[in-house]
Amino acid sequence: MNSPIDTIVTAETPEGISISIRPAGFAVRATAFLLDALIRLAILSLCASLLANGRRLGLGIFLIAAFVINWLYPVLFELSPAAATPGKRVMGLYVLMANGLPVTPAGCLIRNLLRVVDMLPLLYAFGIVSILSRRDSRRLGDLAAGTIVAYRHEVELTGKLGEGVPLPPPVPLSRRQQLALTAFAWRVERLTPARAEEIAAYAVSAIPGLLASGSTAPAEGEVAATASTAGSGVTARLVGIARWLHGDRRLAQ
Amino acid sequence: MTALDFETANEAQWLELEQALRRNDRALDPARFLFLYRTACEHLAMAEARGFPAPLVSRLSTMTARAHQIVYRQTDFGLGRIVRTLMHAFPAMVRAHRWYVLVAALLVIVPALALGLAVAHRPDLILSLVDASTVQQFQHMYSPANPEIGRLRDAGTNWMMFGFYIANNIGIAFQCYVSGILIGLGSLYYLAFNGAFGGAVAGYVTSIGFAGTFFPFIATHSAFELTAVVLCGAAGLRIGRSVLLPGRMTRVASLQLAARDTSVIVFGSSVMLVIAAALEAFWSSAAWVSAPAKYALAAGCWILVAVFFLRRPRAD
Repeated sequence: MNSPIDTIVTAETPEGISISIRPAGFAVRATAFLLDALIRLAILSLCASLLANGRRLGLGIFLIAAFVINWLYPVLFELSPAAATPGKRVMGLYVLMANGLPVTPAGCLIRNLLRVVDMLPLLYAFGIVSILSRRDSRRLGDLAAGTIVAYRHEVELTGKLGEGVPLPPPVPLSRRQQLALTAFAWRVERLTPARAEEIAAYAVSAIPGLLASGSTAPAEGEVAATASTAGSGVTARLVGIARWLHGDRRLAQ
Repeated sequence: MTALDFETANEAQWLELEQALRRNDRALDPARFLFLYRTACEHLAMAEARGFPAPLVSRLSTMTARAHQIVYRQTDFGLGRIVRTLMHAFPAMVRAHRWYVLVAALLVIVPALALGLAVAHRPDLILSLVDASTVQQFQHMYSPANPEIGRLRDAGTNWMMFGFYIANNIGIAFQCYVSGILIGLGSLYYLAFNGAFGGAVAGYVTSIGFAGTFFPFIATHSAFELTAVVLCGAAGLRIGRSVLLPGRMTRVASLQLAARDTSVIVFGSSVMLVIAAALEAFWSSAAWVSAPAKYALAAGCWILVAVFFLRRPRAD
């Protein structure tokens, strides 16, 4: 599951299964941060205009409000059910513990207090370096608090098995071959027929005997000829085999 | 068993779990929910091992991940742990490092006394440490005529200074701690330098007759601030020692252990520094509070800090 080209973090549960977390990278987090900064600025300027007539008391209230908004704004929003500040929510992100559990108040507090460390020496330099250099994109505050900022929505692998007549495989197929055929059949509806045909031709040349109707495997040349002339028939046959493998055996003799 | 058989056999349970996940947590039947969750975990493991289609695996992994968040949700909010760390682990860890603390304290006190006495005796010595304009600033800051002791005329409000003190003091404390990684030399240097600097300022201010404003000013918040800086320096010395003399561990393992132990001290010290910053911004600088009142609170604070670290924790 944890292939080296993506940044998915897996957290193992006591049941022995692993949960995949997709960490949010620098660009999306920076955008969320800017959105939050704009919202905070808007709230502060609203406060300022409301308190402008208050003289010294107004200034005092304003300073306290500024303190609260700057320090508690992320804490309050990240402890809400959405577990995200408005900026993060717009970008589809949320905060959770690195072990896959909901963020705890202590974790949330620590990650936001240690913001000051990430801000050093200026313009969040430490935080940015940490986010860019780590596969799981955590800033120093996240590391201390054991939290992680991740994408909320799972990749929805919607898909339908291609339609067709189930067909028993003419030759025994290894597990990997079965997996490849099944994956193809689940994708086929989203491919153009030409592209499906192209991929099917690869499968046919990689698995000898795939198109044979009986148990005898045809010669190499014959396979290639069939693949190039049979048209959509090859795709349909592969989908049929995949349907059989998937368990659809209604019409098989 | 084919994927289709698998799906038809278990679809009802998956639907039930998915519906339960959409419902309010309180409306769940715990035993049934746990059963459904564990079954779904088994099914996920089986589906992955047998190479069942990706949409099926993804559906199962989504539902188990959501259920996992509900099953293992932490209910005590984790704040209890912070309080326990602060009230028990922090003083215990400080006591465990008492020799480091003693060395760090001496590193601050000895240069402070030496330079303090020297500068009080010959005030022009201060110019060898700082330049003339800084000396003038000190003269202004601790002048009895200044309504906000310890600040320049154009300094900001109490709240602003609170923020400034937090950043500045925590910065100094972190410097004393982090630089310990240079086999402790950095901590030695920063502790001795800050001690010498503080002592020199105290000596100078005394020599020009401002002692009556200076000492009441620093007495209260230094109970927390000075202690926290010494503790961070002691933690830095421990870090330095772990690198220099790792004993029977590898250097990296020794450093990791030292970092884990001392992180408690640094966390506790940061809290002390925030308290110190609040006192410095709102209490110490107030010229309208009389010196005896400041000394009384200062004595209370020093006793509080001493008791906090020296008391025996309850045997629990």
